[in-house]
Amino acid sequence: MKSRAEVVIIGGGVIGLSIAYHLGKLGVEDVVVLEKNYIGSGSTFRCASGIRAQFTDEANIKLQKYNIERWKRLSDELEHDINFKQSGYLFLATSEEEVEVFKKNIKLQNKFGVPTRLISMDEAKEIVPPLNTEPFLAGAWNPEDGKASPFHVVYGFAKKAKEFGVEIYEYTPAVDIIVENCEIKGVKTERGMIKTETVVNAANAWAPVVNEMAGLKRDFVPIKPYKHQLVKTEPIAEGQIEPLTCPPAWNDSYVIQDGEDGGVICGTGLEKLTHLDDVQPTYDFIREVLKWATKIIPALKYVHVVRQWAGFYAKTPDKNPAIGKINYIDGFYIAAGFSGHGFMMAPGVGEAIAELIVKGKSKVPLDWDWYDPHRFERGELRSAAFQIG
Amino acid sequence: MLVKLMRLTEHPILNFQEKRGRKITIYFEGQPIEAYEGETIVMALHAAGIRVLGYSVHKHRPRGLFCAIGKCASCLMTVNGIPNVRTCITLVEDGMKIERQKDKPKLPPTVKPPKFKEAKKVSGDIVIIGGGPAGLMAAINAADAGAKVILLDENPMLGGQLVKQTHKFFGKREQFAGVRGVKIAEILEEEVRKRENIEIFLETSAIMLLQDGDEKLVVGVRKNKELIEFRGKAVIVATGAMEKMIPFEGNDLPGVYGAGAIQTLMNTYGVKPGDRVLIVGAGNVGLILAYQLIQAGVDVKAIVEAMPKIGGYFVHAAKIRRLGVPILTRHTILRAEGKEKVERAVVAQIDEKWRSIPGTEKVFDVDVIALAVGLRPSIELLHQVGCQIKYVPELGGHVVIRDSRMETTIKGIFVAGDSAGIEEATTAMLEGKIAGIAAALEIGTASSEWFKEIEKAQKELDEFRAGPFGRKVLEGIKKVVVE
Ligand SMILES: Cc1cc2nc3c(=O)[nH]c(=O)nc-3n(C[C@H](O)[C@H](O)[C@H](O)COP(=O)(O)OP(=O)(O)OC[C@H]3O[C@@H](n4cnc5c(N)ncnc54)[C@H](O)[C@@H]3O)c2cc1C
Ligand SMILES: Cc1cc2nc3c(=O)[nH]c(=O)nc-3n(C[C@H](O)[C@H](O)[C@H](O)COP(=O)(O)OP(=O)(O)OC[C@H]3O[C@@H](n4cnc5c(N)ncnc54)[C@H](O)[C@@H]3O)c2cc1C
Ligand code: FES
Repeated sequence: MKSRAEVVIIGGGVIGLSIAYHLGKLGVEDVVVLEKNYIGSGSTFRCASGIRAQFTDEANIKLQKYNIERWKRLSDELEHDINFKQSGYLFLATSEEEVEVFKKNIKLQNKFGVPTRLISMDEAKEIVPPLNTEPFLAGAWNPEDGKASPFHVVYGFAKKAKEFGVEIYEYTPAVDIIVENCEIKGVKTERGMIKTETVVNAANAWAPVVNEMAGLKRDFVPIKPYKHQLVKTEPIAEGQIEPLTCPPAWNDSYVIQDGEDGGVICGTGLEKLTHLDDVQPTYDFIREVLKWATKIIPALKYVHVVRQWAGFYAKTPDKNPAIGKINYIDGFYIAAGFSGHGFMMAPGVGEAIAELIVKGKSKVPLDWDWYDPHRFERGELRSAAFQIG
Repeated sequence: MLVKLMRLTEHPILNFQEKRGRKITIYFEGQPIEAYEGETIVMALHAAGIRVLGYSVHKHRPRGLFCAIGKCASCLMTVNGIPNVRTCITLVEDGMKIERQKDKPKLPPTVKPPKFKEAKKVSGDIVIIGGGPAGLMAAINAADAGAKVILLDENPMLGGQLVKQTHKFFGKREQFAGVRGVKIAEILEEEVRKRENIEIFLETSAIMLLQDGDEKLVVGVRKNKELIEFRGKAVIVATGAMEKMIPFEGNDLPGVYGAGAIQTLMNTYGVKPGDRVLIVGAGNVGLILAYQLIQAGVDVKAIVEAMPKIGGYFVHAAKIRRLGVPILTRHTILRAEGKEKVERAVVAQIDEKWRSIPGTEKVFDVDVIALAVGLRPSIELLHQVGCQIKYVPELGGHVVIRDSRMETTIKGIFVAGDSAGIEEATTAMLEGKIAGIAAALEIGTASSEWFKEIEKAQKELDEFRAGPFGRKVLEGIKKVVVE
C-alpha cells in the first residue's frame, strides 16, 4: 500500500470511482480510493439503474441534462460497454390535479432543454405494451432518460482509473483522518497510514462517520440511512417494460426491465429509517411492491420473483446531495447524501469535484450554491429534490 | 395421439397398472397426448417420447429433464400460458396446454389485474419443510412429543427420495433393514396421517423463511398460485439435497439425467428413461441404479468411475458384475454426442492427474447418461434466513453450523437429513427424530422424559456411523457441530 497520495477518496461507490477516474484523466498522479468492503458494495450495486432528467427544480434538471450527455458517451470514453440505453422514464397520472402538476414540471424541464412531453395512454401503451392503461389519464414521457448497468459502470470507472494510475484498495476502511491546524495530514486505514493533503468524503450513507473522523460534528451534513428495497423477476423478453414506469401517486411504485437480462426490477416507496448494518430484506416489502407492480403491469402475475435485496437511500433533509468543499478544513471535500439518485449523477459530479480540486472551478453546470454542504448548519433547505421509490 | 412408447407395464417389484390414475388428455404444442392423473407433466411427456422440453434462451440449445424434483430449473415450460413452470413437480390436468420455450417469455398485453387478497394463514407449533425420511420422522416425533405440526413438501407425494428406492435397506431391524425404500415411505406416511396433530400440505413450496417477532414465518406457495403464510414457534428444515453435475462436453444434452431423476421416472411413475444407459459414478447410488435399470428392462452398457476403486458396497458391485455390466474404474466421460438428445457417450481412461489418456477412448451407443456423482445439501432457506454456513466437502458442500440436537445458529431453526449433510435415509430418519423432539422440548410441549429418546437416537447414529462408510461423514460432522 502507498504511504503517500495526492488525493485520498474515501468510498468506492460509483461517486468515489467517478471522482477517481476524472482526477486520473486530469493527470493527477497518486490518487487512492479506500473502500471498506468491495467496490460497489454500498448503495451502488443495489440501485435500480435509472437515469433521468425529469426533476422539478432548475439545479437538478440542468445537472441531469448535462449528465445524460455524459452517459451517452461514457461507454466510448471508458472503452467498456456500460449498457447505457435511452429507454426513457414514463410517469403516469391518476388524476386531473396530477396532470396539471405534470404540465407544470414539463414546462420547466422544456425550458432547460429536456424534451419531456405529455402523452396519451394510447401512446403509453405503445411504449410499454403490457401496461394497464385503465387507471391512468396521461403520462409524462422523456425519451432521453434511461438506464445503465451499475456493475459495468463501476467496473468501467475502476478499470480506466487504474489505467491512469489510480490505486483502489478494497477491504481497507478509513478509520481516522489526521487534521492539524485545519489542514489535512493523512488518512489512517486499517492497513496503515497514508499521508495526504486532500481527502474526498464519498462515503454516502457513511459520510457522517467520515466527517466525524475529520473532527466535524456528525450532523454537520445530516445524512440518514433509509432502507429501500427492490425485487427482481426472472428474465422476460426485452422490449416490454424498457422505460422506468412509475405512477407517483401509487406510493412511488415503479417497474423497469433490467437492461442486461430483461428481468423486471420493481420498487415502491416503503422506506424505513434504519442503522448502517441493516440491509435485511423484509416480507412486508415484497407483499407491498407486488401489489403495486401487478396493478401497473397485470401480466407480471405470471412471472416469478427471483431476487430481493435492500440498500440505503442516504437522505439529507432536502433530499439534495452535499457536493463541494468543506470550508473548515483545507483540502476536505464531500460528495454524499444522494438521497436515492446518486447513480444517475455520477459522471458529472465526478468531473465537477475533480476539476474543483485541480483547477478550483468547473465547467460542469453544477450549482455549487444549491448543493453547498454548509447549507444545513445555516438552516437553509432547498426545495426537496423529486425522489421516487 | 403420439404412440405410447415408454410406459412400463411389467416390473418385478412395482405394479404401475394398478397405481395409475384416470386417463386424461394434455396438449403438447397442440398435439394431444395421453396422460394419467397423479403424474407430473414431464413424466407424461417422457412417456410419449418427448425429451426436448425447451431451448436455452441465448444459444437455443435443447434442454431436458435433469433432477425431476424441482431443484434445477432444467424443465421449465409454458403451461396454460404461464411461463417458466417447473414441469417435473407440476401434476397434469385434463386439457392442459404445454409449450416449449425458446426465448424469454413475452407477456400478454391485456390481462385483468389480479385481486390482491390477504394470504391464507396457517399456524402451528412446529413447521417442517420437506417430507422425506427426515421430515417425516421429525413430524411423527414432534407430534408424539405434544406439538401441533405443519408438514409441507413441494412434491405431489410424501416420502422424498424414498419413493423411488425399490431396493432393500441395510442396517438394523429397528432402522427398517431389509425393507424396501418405497415401503418405508408408505409406513412413515401412514404413521404421519394417523396423527391428528399433523397437518400436511403437498405441492407447496417454501420460498422464504423469516423471523417474525417471536415466531418463525415460512412463506409457501401451493400449486404455483396460492400464497400461504405458515407460522410456528420452531422450524425444521429437511429439504434434502440436489444432484451434482460434472463438466464435460455436451453435458446439457437432453438424456443426461441425474440418477435420482431416472429413479423417479421408472420407479415412481413407471416410465422407461431410455433403452441404453451409461452410468457415471460407481458409488452406492450408481450401483443400485444399474440394478434397478436392469429390473426395468433397460440395457446398462457400463459404469465409469474416476477413482481407482469402486465406492459403493461390495455386495451391490458384485451383483452388477454378475449381471454382466462392466465397471470401468479410472475412467471418465469425455463427451455426450447427439443432435437434439444423447445418441452416444465417449469415455476414456485417466491418469493419476485425472487427465484423459489419448488412445483409450471408447464409444457407447446410449440414449441416456446417468450422473451418479454425488449430491449437495439444499440449504437455500437456511442461508437466506441467516444461519451460519460452512463449506465441508465431506458432507457434500455448504452446510449449516449446528449443535448435536440439530439446532442451527438461529434459535428455533433446526435442520435434519441430507440438508444437514449428505448421508443416508437411515441417518436422515434418526436426525429427523432428534430434531423433532429437540424442537418440541425447546417450545415446551415435551416433558423432560423425552431427553432419553434423543440420547437413544444419538447412540444409534453413532453406531451406524461407526462403520467404514461413516468415517468421512464423522470427519465432516466434527467441523460443523458446536455445543
Ligand atoms: C433500492 C435503491 C434503488 C435506487 N435506485 C436508483 C436509481 O434508479 N437511480 C439512481 O441514480 N440512484 C438510485 N439509487 C441511489 C444510488 O444507489 C446511490 O445514490 C448511489 O449509488 C450513491 O453512490 P455513492 O458512491 O455515493 O455511494 P455508495 O455506493 O454507498 O458508496 C459509498 C462507499 O463508501 C464505503 N465506505 C463507507 N465508509 C467507509 C470507510 N470508513 N472507509 C472506506 N470506505 C467506506 C462503503 O462501503 C460504500 O461502498 C438507489 C438506491 C437504492 C438503495
Ligand atoms: C439411488 C439412491 C439410493 C439410495 N439408497 C439408500 C439406502 O440404501 N439406504 C439409505 O439409508 N439411504 C439411501 N439413499 C439416500 C437417501 O435416500 C437420502 O439420504 C434420504 O432420502 C435423505 O432424506 P431427507 O429427508 O433428508 O431428504 P429427501 O428424501 O430428499 O426429502 C426432501 C424433501 O423436501 C422437499 N423439499 C425440498 N425443498 C423444499 C421446499 N423449498 N419446499 C417444500 N418442500 C421442499 C422435497 O420435495 C423432498 O420431498 C439413497 C439415495 C439414492 C439417490
Ligand atoms: S427442476 Fe425440474 S428437472 Fe430439475
